[in-house]
Amino acid sequence: MVETLEQVPVAEDLFRWSGDGADLVGTRCRGCGAHYFPKSLSCRNPQCEHKAVEEVLMGRRGRLHSYTVQSYRPPALFRMEPWAPYAIGLVELPNGLRVMGMLTGCALFDIRIDMPLELTVEPLYRDESGRDVMTYKFQPTAEGTA
Amino acid sequence: MRPVYVLGVGAHPWGKFPQKPQLQLAIEALSAALTDARLGWRDLQGLVAASSRFEGGMGWGLHANEVLQAVAESGVPAVNVGGGCAAGGIAVHTAAAMVASGECEVIAALGAERMPKGFIPRPPGCPDDITDTDYLRWVTMGATNPVYWALEARRRMHEFGTTAETFAKASVLMHHNAIANPRARYRAECSVEDVLHSPTVSDPLHLLEICAVSDGAAAVILGSEEQARRLGVPKVAVAGSAVATGQFGDPAVRIPTVSTTVGASAPHTSEVAGAVRHALDRAGMGPGDIDFVELADNTAWHVLAWPEFFGFLEPGQSDWMIEHGQMGIDGKLPVNPSGGFLSFGEATTAQGVLQVCELAWQLRQQAHGRQVPGAKVGLSAVLGLGANGASVVLKA
Repeated sequence: MVETLEQVPVAEDLFRWSGDGADLVGTRCRGCGAHYFPKSLSCRNPQCEHKAVEEVLMGRRGRLHSYTVQSYRPPALFRMEPWAPYAIGLVELPNGLRVMGMLTGCALFDIRIDMPLELTVEPLYRDESGRDVMTYKFQPTAEGTA
Repeated sequence: MRPVYVLGVGAHPWGKFPQKPQLQLAIEALSAALTDARLGWRDLQGLVAASSRFEGGMGWGLHANEVLQAVAESGVPAVNVGGGCAAGGIAVHTAAAMVASGECEVIAALGAERMPKGFIPRPPGCPDDITDTDYLRWVTMGATNPVYWALEARRRMHEFGTTAETFAKASVLMHHNAIANPRARYRAECSVEDVLHSPTVSDPLHLLEICAVSDGAAAVILGSEEQARRLGVPKVAVAGSAVATGQFGDPAVRIPTVSTTVGASAPHTSEVAGAVRHALDRAGMGPGDIDFVELADNTAWHVLAWPEFFGFLEPGQSDWMIEHGQMGIDGKLPVNPSGGFLSFGEATTAQGVLQVCELAWQLRQQAHGRQVPGAKVGLSAVLGLGANGASVVLKA
Protein backbone atom coordinates (compact mmCIF):
# COMPACT_ATOMS: atom_id res chain seq x y z
CA MET A 1 0.00 0.00 0.00
CA VAL A 2 1.34 3.38 -0.93
CA GLU A 3 0.86 5.96 1.76
CA THR A 4 -0.38 9.28 0.42
CA LEU A 5 0.72 12.12 2.62
CA GLU A 6 -1.09 15.37 2.86
CA GLN A 7 1.02 18.32 1.77
CA VAL A 8 0.42 21.90 2.88
CA PRO A 9 2.24 25.07 1.79
CA VAL A 10 4.36 26.89 4.38
CA ALA A 11 2.30 30.03 3.56
CA GLU A 12 -1.00 30.32 1.71
CA ASP A 13 -1.24 32.06 -1.65
CA LEU A 14 2.51 32.20 -2.26
CA PHE A 15 3.03 29.34 -4.72
CA ARG A 16 1.09 26.51 -6.38
CA TRP A 17 2.24 23.09 -7.43
CA SER A 18 1.00 19.96 -9.11
CA GLY A 19 2.47 17.02 -11.03
CA ASP A 20 3.01 19.51 -13.84
CA GLY A 21 5.41 21.71 -11.89
CA ALA A 22 5.40 24.70 -9.56
CA ASP A 23 4.55 28.38 -9.95
CA LEU A 24 5.11 31.44 -7.79
CA VAL A 25 1.99 33.56 -7.30
CA GLY A 26 2.53 37.29 -7.72
CA THR A 27 0.93 40.34 -9.22
CA ARG A 28 1.37 42.38 -12.39
CA CYS A 29 0.39 46.02 -12.78
CA ARG A 30 -2.42 46.49 -15.30
CA GLY A 31 -0.93 49.87 -16.17
CA CYS A 32 2.84 49.58 -16.47
CA GLY A 33 3.28 45.79 -16.40
CA ALA A 34 5.66 45.72 -13.42
CA HIS A 35 5.76 42.39 -11.53
CA TYR A 36 5.71 41.82 -7.77
CA PHE A 37 6.23 38.82 -5.50
CA PRO A 38 4.51 38.00 -3.22
CA LYS A 39 1.19 39.52 -4.29
CA SER A 40 1.21 43.28 -3.76
CA LEU A 41 -1.59 45.65 -2.77
CA SER A 42 -0.67 48.14 -5.47
CA CYS A 43 1.83 48.94 -8.20
CA ARG A 44 4.87 50.66 -6.67
CA ASN A 45 6.13 52.44 -9.80
CA PRO A 46 5.96 56.19 -8.94
CA GLN A 47 5.50 57.03 -12.65
CA CYS A 48 2.47 54.74 -12.91
CA GLU A 49 -0.92 56.19 -11.94
CA HIS A 50 -2.87 53.05 -12.77
CA LYS A 51 -1.89 51.22 -9.59
CA ALA A 52 -4.35 48.29 -10.02
CA VAL A 53 -2.62 44.91 -10.01
CA GLU A 54 -3.84 41.47 -11.07
CA GLU A 55 -2.75 38.06 -9.85
CA VAL A 56 -0.30 36.34 -12.16
CA LEU A 57 1.85 33.21 -12.11
CA MET A 58 5.56 33.96 -12.44
CA GLY A 59 7.86 32.24 -14.89
CA ARG A 60 9.18 28.92 -13.64
CA ARG A 61 12.74 29.36 -14.81
CA GLY A 62 15.51 31.82 -14.10
CA ARG A 63 19.23 32.34 -13.62
CA LEU A 64 21.18 32.50 -10.40
CA HIS A 65 22.15 36.11 -9.69
CA SER A 66 23.83 35.41 -6.34
CA TYR A 67 23.78 32.94 -3.47
CA THR A 68 24.94 32.28 0.06
CA VAL A 69 25.28 29.24 2.29
CA GLN A 70 23.48 29.53 5.61
CA SER A 71 25.88 27.93 8.09
CA TYR A 72 23.95 28.63 11.30
CA ARG A 73 20.50 27.40 12.12
CA PRO A 74 18.05 30.34 11.83
CA PRO A 75 15.67 31.15 14.72
CA ALA A 76 12.71 28.92 15.49
CA LEU A 77 10.23 30.53 13.10
CA PHE A 78 12.11 28.61 10.39
CA ARG A 79 11.58 24.85 10.60
CA MET A 80 13.62 22.42 8.54
CA GLU A 81 13.99 18.80 9.58
CA PRO A 82 16.57 17.42 9.50
CA TRP A 83 18.57 20.63 9.58
CA ALA A 84 21.81 20.99 7.65
CA PRO A 85 23.61 24.00 6.15
CA TYR A 86 21.79 24.99 2.97
CA ALA A 87 21.99 27.55 0.19
CA ILE A 88 19.74 30.53 -0.46
CA GLY A 89 19.80 31.96 -3.96
CA LEU A 90 18.76 35.23 -5.53
CA VAL A 91 17.21 34.19 -8.84
CA GLU A 92 16.55 36.50 -11.77
CA LEU A 93 13.33 35.67 -13.60
CA PRO A 94 12.60 36.60 -17.24
CA ASN A 95 10.09 39.25 -16.08
CA GLY A 96 12.91 41.18 -14.36
CA LEU A 97 12.06 40.16 -10.80
CA ARG A 98 14.79 38.80 -8.58
CA VAL A 99 13.40 36.28 -6.09
CA MET A 100 15.10 34.78 -3.04
CA GLY A 101 14.62 31.11 -2.32
CA MET A 102 16.33 27.98 -1.07
CA LEU A 103 18.42 26.04 -3.58
CA THR A 104 18.11 22.28 -3.93
CA GLY A 105 19.38 19.45 -6.11
CA CYS A 106 22.92 20.77 -6.17
CA ALA A 107 25.94 20.24 -3.92
CA LEU A 108 26.87 23.44 -2.08
CA PHE A 109 30.30 23.55 -3.77
CA ASP A 110 28.77 23.14 -7.25
CA ILE A 111 26.67 26.30 -7.11
CA ARG A 112 27.66 28.83 -9.78
CA ILE A 113 26.37 32.31 -10.49
CA ASP A 114 24.38 32.39 -13.78
CA MET A 115 23.45 28.70 -13.58
CA PRO A 116 19.96 28.04 -15.03
CA LEU A 117 17.36 27.10 -12.42
CA GLU A 118 13.76 26.02 -12.28
CA LEU A 119 11.17 26.27 -9.55
CA THR A 120 10.23 23.25 -7.50
CA VAL A 121 8.38 22.59 -4.26
CA GLU A 122 9.77 20.37 -1.50
CA PRO A 123 8.92 19.52 2.11
CA LEU A 124 10.64 21.45 4.90
CA TYR A 125 9.33 19.32 7.79
CA ARG A 126 6.39 17.18 8.90
CA ASP A 127 3.98 19.00 11.17
CA GLU A 128 2.21 17.71 14.29
CA SER A 129 -0.75 16.52 12.18
CA GLY A 130 1.56 14.40 10.04
CA ARG A 131 1.38 16.71 7.03
CA ASP A 132 4.39 17.66 4.96
CA VAL A 133 4.92 21.44 5.07
CA MET A 134 6.14 22.55 1.65
CA THR A 135 8.20 25.52 0.49
CA TYR A 136 9.34 26.68 -2.94
CA LYS A 137 12.95 26.14 -3.97
CA PHE A 138 15.04 26.48 -7.09
CA GLN A 139 16.95 23.57 -8.62
CA PRO A 140 19.43 23.33 -11.47
CA THR A 141 18.01 22.65 -14.90
CA ALA A 142 19.65 21.76 -18.20
CA GLU A 143 21.67 24.52 -19.87
CA GLY A 144 19.90 26.30 -22.72
CA THR A 145 16.38 25.78 -21.43
CA ALA A 146 16.28 28.69 -19.01
CA MET B 1 16.36 79.28 6.16
CA ARG B 2 19.15 80.32 8.53
CA PRO B 3 22.47 78.50 9.16
CA VAL B 4 22.59 75.76 11.80
CA TYR B 5 25.56 74.99 14.05
CA VAL B 6 26.60 72.06 16.21
CA LEU B 7 26.79 73.40 19.76
CA GLY B 8 27.68 70.16 21.50
CA VAL B 9 27.91 66.40 21.12
CA GLY B 10 27.99 63.53 23.60
CA ALA B 11 27.74 59.77 23.68
CA HIS B 12 27.61 56.97 26.19
CA PRO B 13 30.16 54.23 25.43
CA TRP B 14 28.81 51.31 23.37
CA GLY B 15 28.60 47.84 24.92
CA LYS B 16 26.17 45.77 26.97
CA PHE B 17 24.73 47.51 30.01
CA PRO B 18 22.10 45.26 31.55
CA GLN B 19 22.04 47.38 34.73
CA LYS B 20 21.22 50.65 32.95
CA PRO B 21 17.73 51.33 31.62
CA GLN B 22 17.51 52.86 28.17
CA LEU B 23 16.29 56.11 29.72
CA GLN B 24 19.45 56.36 31.80
CA LEU B 25 21.67 55.81 28.75
CA ALA B 26 19.70 58.56 27.01
CA ILE B 27 20.01 61.01 29.89
CA GLU B 28 23.75 60.39 30.26
CA ALA B 29 24.37 61.00 26.53
CA LEU B 30 22.22 64.14 26.50
CA SER B 31 23.84 65.42 29.66
CA ALA B 32 27.30 64.93 28.13
CA ALA B 33 26.26 66.84 25.01
CA LEU B 34 24.84 69.72 27.08
CA THR B 35 28.08 69.90 29.10
CA ASP B 36 30.05 69.88 25.84
CA ALA B 37 27.95 72.84 24.65
CA ARG B 38 28.30 74.62 28.01
CA LEU B 39 24.52 74.55 28.34
CA GLY B 40 22.08 73.39 31.00
CA TRP B 41 18.80 71.48 30.76
CA ARG B 42 16.93 74.78 31.09
CA ASP B 43 18.47 76.00 27.83
CA LEU B 44 16.92 73.28 25.66
CA GLN B 45 14.07 74.62 23.54
CA GLY B 46 13.15 71.30 21.99
CA LEU B 47 14.09 67.64 21.84
CA VAL B 48 13.89 65.24 18.90
CA ALA B 49 14.23 61.54 19.70
CA ALA B 50 14.94 58.65 17.37
CA SER B 51 12.28 56.19 18.44
CA SER B 52 13.54 52.71 19.19
CA ARG B 53 11.08 49.85 19.09
CA PHE B 54 12.77 47.74 21.73
CA GLU B 55 12.30 49.58 25.00
CA GLY B 56 10.76 52.62 26.62
CA GLY B 57 8.10 55.11 25.60
CA MET B 58 5.26 53.01 27.03
CA GLY B 59 5.54 50.62 24.11
CA TRP B 60 6.45 53.12 21.41
CA GLY B 61 10.18 53.03 22.07
CA LEU B 62 12.35 55.88 23.32
CA HIS B 63 10.33 59.09 23.29
CA ALA B 64 11.61 62.63 23.74
CA ASN B 65 8.69 63.45 26.02
CA GLU B 66 9.66 60.57 28.31
CA VAL B 67 13.20 61.95 28.63
CA LEU B 68 11.90 65.45 29.39
CA GLN B 69 9.45 64.12 31.96
CA ALA B 70 12.29 62.23 33.63
CA VAL B 71 14.81 65.04 33.84
CA ALA B 72 13.45 68.49 32.87
CA GLU B 73 9.70 69.13 32.75
CA SER B 74 10.13 72.38 30.88
CA GLY B 75 7.17 72.20 28.54
CA VAL B 76 9.30 72.43 25.39
CA PRO B 77 8.23 70.58 22.23
CA ALA B 78 9.12 66.89 21.95
CA VAL B 79 9.25 65.30 18.50
CA ASN B 80 9.63 61.56 18.02
CA VAL B 81 10.79 60.24 14.67
CA GLY B 82 10.80 56.72 13.27
CA GLY B 83 12.71 55.29 10.35
CA GLY B 84 14.22 52.07 11.64
CA CYS B 85 17.95 52.28 12.10
CA ALA B 86 18.01 55.53 10.11
CA ALA B 87 15.95 57.24 12.83
CA GLY B 88 19.07 58.79 14.41
CA GLY B 89 19.97 60.56 11.15
CA ILE B 90 16.34 61.57 10.68
CA ALA B 91 16.30 63.02 14.22
CA VAL B 92 19.38 65.18 13.51
CA HIS B 93 17.86 66.32 10.21
CA THR B 94 14.55 67.19 11.92
CA ALA B 95 16.28 69.09 14.73
CA ALA B 96 18.36 71.02 12.15
CA ALA B 97 15.18 71.98 10.29
CA MET B 98 13.64 73.28 13.53
CA VAL B 99 16.62 75.57 14.04
CA ALA B 100 16.84 76.59 10.38
CA SER B 101 13.15 77.56 10.35
CA GLY B 102 13.59 79.82 13.38
CA GLU B 103 11.36 77.68 15.59
CA CYS B 104 14.15 76.89 18.07
CA GLU B 105 17.40 78.58 19.11
CA VAL B 106 18.77 75.47 20.86
CA ILE B 107 17.53 71.92 20.29
CA ALA B 108 18.84 68.40 20.82
CA ALA B 109 18.62 65.23 18.75
CA LEU B 110 18.89 62.01 20.73
CA GLY B 111 19.16 58.28 20.13
CA ALA B 112 19.40 55.56 22.78
CA GLU B 113 19.06 51.83 22.42
CA ARG B 114 19.30 48.64 24.41
CA MET B 115 19.27 45.75 22.01
CA PRO B 116 17.62 42.41 22.72
CA LYS B 117 19.86 39.35 22.83
CA GLY B 118 20.36 37.25 19.72
CA PHE B 119 18.19 37.54 16.62
CA ILE B 120 15.86 40.53 16.60
CA PRO B 121 12.31 39.24 17.15
CA ARG B 122 9.35 40.24 15.00
CA PRO B 123 7.21 43.00 16.52
CA PRO B 124 4.07 41.73 18.28
CA GLY B 125 0.81 41.71 16.35
CA CYS B 126 2.25 41.02 12.89
CA PRO B 127 0.12 38.73 10.72
CA ASP B 128 1.39 35.24 9.91
CA ASP B 129 0.64 35.46 6.18
CA ILE B 130 1.97 36.74 2.84
CA THR B 131 1.17 40.37 3.71
CA ASP B 132 4.16 40.31 6.13
CA THR B 133 7.39 39.61 4.28
CA ASP B 134 9.22 39.49 7.62
CA TYR B 135 7.15 36.36 8.31
CA LEU B 136 7.72 34.97 4.82
CA ARG B 137 11.48 35.36 4.82
CA TRP B 138 11.67 33.26 7.98
CA VAL B 139 9.19 30.50 7.28
CA THR B 140 9.93 29.95 3.58
CA MET B 141 13.75 29.99 3.70
CA GLY B 142 15.09 31.15 7.09
CA ALA B 143 16.73 34.25 5.63
CA THR B 144 18.64 35.93 8.45
CA ASN B 145 19.90 39.50 8.00
CA PRO B 146 23.44 38.30 7.14
CA VAL B 147 21.91 36.30 4.25
CA TYR B 148 20.91 39.55 2.54
CA TRP B 149 24.36 41.06 2.95
CA ALA B 150 26.03 37.82 1.89
CA LEU B 151 24.03 37.79 -1.36
CA GLU B 152 25.41 41.25 -2.12
CA ALA B 153 28.96 40.26 -1.11
CA ARG B 154 28.92 37.12 -3.27
CA ARG B 155 27.66 39.14 -6.25
CA ARG B 156 30.42 41.68 -5.73
CA MET B 157 33.01 38.88 -5.82
CA HIS B 158 31.49 37.77 -9.14
CA GLU B 159 31.37 41.25 -10.69
CA PHE B 160 34.63 42.77 -9.48
CA GLY B 161 36.72 39.81 -8.37
CA THR B 162 36.69 41.00 -4.76
CA THR B 163 38.50 38.41 -2.67
CA ALA B 164 37.81 37.05 0.81
CA GLU B 165 41.07 38.73 1.88
CA THR B 166 39.86 42.15 0.72
CA PHE B 167 36.62 41.82 2.69
CA ALA B 168 38.71 40.76 5.68
CA LYS B 169 41.00 43.79 5.28
CA ALA B 170 37.98 46.09 5.43
CA SER B 171 37.04 44.56 8.78
CA VAL B 172 40.65 44.73 10.01
CA LEU B 173 40.68 48.46 9.16
CA MET B 174 37.47 49.14 11.11
CA HIS B 175 38.86 47.35 14.17
CA HIS B 176 42.18 49.16 13.83
CA ASN B 177 40.48 52.57 13.75
CA ALA B 178 38.53 51.79 16.93
CA ILE B 179 41.57 51.04 19.09
CA ALA B 180 41.91 54.69 20.08
CA ASN B 181 38.17 55.35 20.38
CA PRO B 182 37.13 55.29 24.04
CA ARG B 183 33.45 54.78 23.16
CA ALA B 184 33.94 51.75 20.89
CA ARG B 185 32.99 48.31 22.23
CA TYR B 186 35.63 46.24 20.40
CA ARG B 187 39.03 47.87 20.67
CA ALA B 188 41.42 45.05 19.89
CA GLU B 189 43.51 44.80 16.76
CA CYS B 190 42.61 41.84 14.58
CA SER B 191 44.40 40.30 11.61
CA VAL B 192 43.20 39.09 8.22
CA GLU B 193 43.80 35.56 9.52
CA ASP B 194 41.66 36.23 12.61
CA VAL B 195 38.81 37.39 10.38
CA LEU B 196 39.09 34.51 7.92
CA HIS B 197 39.36 31.98 10.73
CA SER B 198 36.27 33.31 12.52
CA PRO B 199 33.17 31.19 11.83
CA THR B 200 31.49 31.56 8.44
CA VAL B 201 28.01 32.91 9.20
CA SER B 202 26.59 33.33 5.71
CA ASP B 203 29.18 32.51 3.09
CA PRO B 204 31.24 34.54 2.10
CA LEU B 205 30.78 36.61 5.29
CA HIS B 206 32.55 35.63 8.52
CA LEU B 207 31.56 36.48 12.07
CA LEU B 208 34.19 39.26 12.30
CA GLU B 209 32.84 40.82 9.10
CA ILE B 210 29.32 41.30 10.50
CA CYS B 211 28.41 43.87 13.16
CA ALA B 212 27.16 42.73 16.55
CA VAL B 213 24.31 44.44 18.41
CA SER B 214 25.11 46.76 21.31
CA ASP B 215 23.57 49.16 23.79
CA GLY B 216 24.46 52.83 23.38
CA ALA B 217 23.23 56.40 23.33
CA ALA B 218 24.28 59.61 21.59
CA ALA B 219 23.08 63.20 21.47
CA VAL B 220 23.76 66.28 19.35
CA ILE B 221 22.87 69.85 20.37
CA LEU B 222 22.14 72.19 17.45
CA GLY B 223 21.54 75.92 17.48
CA SER B 224 21.62 79.20 15.64
CA GLU B 225 24.76 81.11 14.67
CA GLU B 226 24.05 83.59 17.47
CA GLN B 227 24.03 80.77 20.03
CA ALA B 228 27.26 79.30 18.64
CA ARG B 229 28.94 82.69 18.92
CA ARG B 230 27.58 83.37 22.41
CA LEU B 231 28.77 80.00 23.72
CA GLY B 232 32.16 80.28 22.06
CA VAL B 233 32.07 76.62 20.98
CA PRO B 234 34.18 75.43 18.01
CA LYS B 235 32.47 76.48 14.76
CA VAL B 236 31.01 73.39 13.13
CA ALA B 237 28.07 73.99 10.79
CA VAL B 238 25.40 71.65 9.44
CA ALA B 239 26.27 72.27 5.79
CA GLY B 240 23.52 69.96 4.56
CA SER B 241 21.27 67.15 5.71
CA ALA B 242 18.63 65.00 4.07
CA VAL B 243 16.20 62.16 4.56
CA ALA B 244 15.22 59.89 1.67
CA THR B 245 13.32 56.68 0.95
CA GLY B 246 13.84 53.84 -1.50
CA GLN B 247 13.31 54.27 -5.24
CA PHE B 248 11.42 51.94 -7.55
CA GLY B 249 13.72 49.55 -9.38
CA ASP B 250 16.55 49.66 -6.81
CA PRO B 251 18.44 46.37 -7.25
CA ALA B 252 19.26 46.05 -3.52
CA VAL B 253 17.71 43.01 -1.86
CA ARG B 254 16.08 44.74 1.08
CA ILE B 255 15.61 43.15 4.46
CA PRO B 256 12.98 41.67 5.01
CA THR B 257 11.62 41.33 1.45
CA VAL B 258 11.92 38.12 -0.58
CA SER B 259 12.10 39.72 -4.02
CA THR B 260 13.07 42.89 -5.78
CA THR B 261 11.58 44.47 -8.88
CA VAL B 262 14.72 45.56 -10.70
CA GLY B 263 14.63 48.61 -12.95
CA ALA B 264 17.19 50.54 -14.92
CA SER B 265 17.05 53.98 -13.36
CA ALA B 266 17.40 53.62 -9.60
CA PRO B 267 20.77 53.56 -7.84
CA HIS B 268 21.68 50.67 -5.55
CA THR B 269 20.69 51.30 -1.91
CA SER B 270 18.68 54.24 -3.25
CA GLU B 271 17.28 55.32 0.13
CA VAL B 272 20.81 56.18 1.30
CA ALA B 273 22.19 57.21 -2.12
CA GLY B 274 19.29 59.68 -2.42
CA ALA B 275 19.89 61.11 1.05
CA VAL B 276 23.63 61.52 0.40
CA ARG B 277 22.98 63.24 -2.94
CA HIS B 278 20.46 65.69 -1.43
CA ALA B 279 22.65 66.41 1.61
CA LEU B 280 25.57 67.20 -0.71
CA ASP B 281 23.34 69.33 -2.97
CA ARG B 282 22.11 71.33 0.01
CA ALA B 283 25.71 71.84 1.11
CA GLY B 284 26.60 72.98 -2.41
CA MET B 285 29.22 70.24 -2.50
CA GLY B 286 30.17 67.11 -4.38
CA PRO B 287 31.83 63.89 -3.21
CA GLY B 288 35.25 65.45 -3.91
CA ASP B 289 34.67 68.06 -1.19
CA ILE B 290 34.29 65.44 1.55
CA ASP B 291 37.37 64.70 3.68
CA PHE B 292 36.00 61.53 5.35
CA VAL B 293 32.79 59.53 5.71
CA GLU B 294 31.02 57.74 8.54
CA LEU B 295 28.81 55.07 7.01
CA ALA B 296 26.70 52.20 8.28
CA ASP B 297 29.04 49.23 7.97
CA ASN B 298 26.74 46.42 9.00
CA THR B 299 29.29 44.22 7.21
CA ALA B 300 32.69 44.45 5.54
CA TRP B 301 30.80 44.48 2.21
CA HIS B 302 29.25 47.84 3.15
CA VAL B 303 32.72 49.38 3.66
CA LEU B 304 33.57 48.52 0.06
CA ALA B 305 30.23 49.00 -1.67
CA TRP B 306 28.75 52.14 -0.15
CA PRO B 307 31.45 54.66 -1.17
CA GLU B 308 30.98 53.41 -4.74
CA PHE B 309 27.17 53.53 -4.64
CA PHE B 310 27.25 57.14 -3.42
CA GLY B 311 29.68 58.45 -6.01
CA PHE B 312 32.82 58.72 -3.88
CA LEU B 313 34.57 55.99 -5.86
CA GLU B 314 34.13 54.22 -9.19
CA PRO B 315 32.44 50.80 -9.14
CA GLY B 316 35.07 48.24 -8.12
CA GLN B 317 37.60 50.86 -7.00
CA SER B 318 37.18 50.18 -3.27
CA ASP B 319 39.20 46.96 -3.49
CA TRP B 320 42.25 48.91 -4.66
CA MET B 321 41.62 51.55 -2.00
CA ILE B 322 41.53 48.96 0.79
CA GLU B 323 44.53 47.06 -0.57
CA HIS B 324 46.56 50.28 -0.69
CA GLY B 325 45.47 51.66 2.67
CA GLN B 326 43.57 54.53 1.06
CA MET B 327 40.43 54.11 3.20
CA GLY B 328 42.53 54.43 6.34
CA ILE B 329 42.71 57.57 8.47
CA ASP B 330 45.65 58.90 6.43
CA GLY B 331 44.23 57.71 3.10
CA LYS B 332 42.53 59.46 0.18
CA LEU B 333 39.05 58.62 1.48
CA PRO B 334 39.05 57.77 5.18
CA VAL B 335 36.03 55.55 5.91
CA ASN B 336 34.75 55.32 9.49
CA PRO B 337 37.67 56.74 11.47
CA SER B 338 35.46 55.98 14.51
CA GLY B 339 35.74 52.24 13.85
CA GLY B 340 32.19 52.01 12.52
CA PHE B 341 29.45 49.53 13.33
CA LEU B 342 31.93 46.63 13.13
CA SER B 343 33.76 48.03 16.18
CA PHE B 344 30.79 49.49 18.05
CA GLY B 345 28.09 46.91 17.40
CA GLU B 346 24.84 48.39 16.22
CA ALA B 347 22.65 50.18 18.75
CA THR B 348 20.22 50.68 15.86
CA THR B 349 18.51 54.07 16.26
CA ALA B 350 21.35 55.62 18.28
CA GLN B 351 23.85 54.88 15.51
CA GLY B 352 22.86 57.72 13.19
CA VAL B 353 23.33 60.23 16.01
CA LEU B 354 26.69 58.74 17.00
CA GLN B 355 27.90 59.16 13.39
CA VAL B 356 27.21 62.90 13.63
CA CYS B 357 29.04 63.07 16.98
CA GLU B 358 32.09 61.53 15.28
CA LEU B 359 31.87 64.04 12.42
CA ALA B 360 31.95 66.84 15.01
CA TRP B 361 34.85 65.38 17.01
CA GLN B 362 36.86 64.98 13.81
CA LEU B 363 36.10 68.51 12.57
CA ARG B 364 37.05 69.99 15.96
CA GLN B 365 40.33 68.01 15.81
CA GLN B 366 39.32 66.23 19.02
CA ALA B 367 39.37 62.67 17.67
CA HIS B 368 42.49 61.75 19.61
CA GLY B 369 44.35 58.76 18.21
CA ARG B 370 42.04 58.49 15.21
CA GLN B 371 42.13 62.06 13.88
CA VAL B 372 41.78 62.51 10.11
CA PRO B 373 44.52 65.08 9.42
CA GLY B 374 43.11 68.48 8.53
CA ALA B 375 39.51 67.27 8.31
CA LYS B 376 37.22 70.16 7.32
CA VAL B 377 34.13 68.41 5.93
CA GLY B 378 32.60 65.07 6.91
CA LEU B 379 29.54 63.14 5.74
CA SER B 380 27.40 60.52 7.48
CA ALA B 381 25.20 57.91 5.79
CA VAL B 382 22.78 55.55 7.49
CA LEU B 383 20.12 53.08 6.38
CA GLY B 384 16.96 52.05 8.19
CA LEU B 385 14.69 49.06 7.83
CA GLY B 386 11.79 49.83 5.51
CA ALA B 387 13.79 51.76 2.89
CA ASN B 388 14.77 54.77 5.02
CA GLY B 389 17.97 56.71 4.51
CA ALA B 390 19.57 59.77 6.09
CA SER B 391 22.76 61.75 5.55
CA VAL B 392 24.35 64.73 7.30
CA VAL B 393 27.23 66.90 6.09
CA LEU B 394 29.14 68.89 8.73
CA LYS B 395 31.71 71.56 7.93
CA ALA B 396 34.33 73.19 10.16
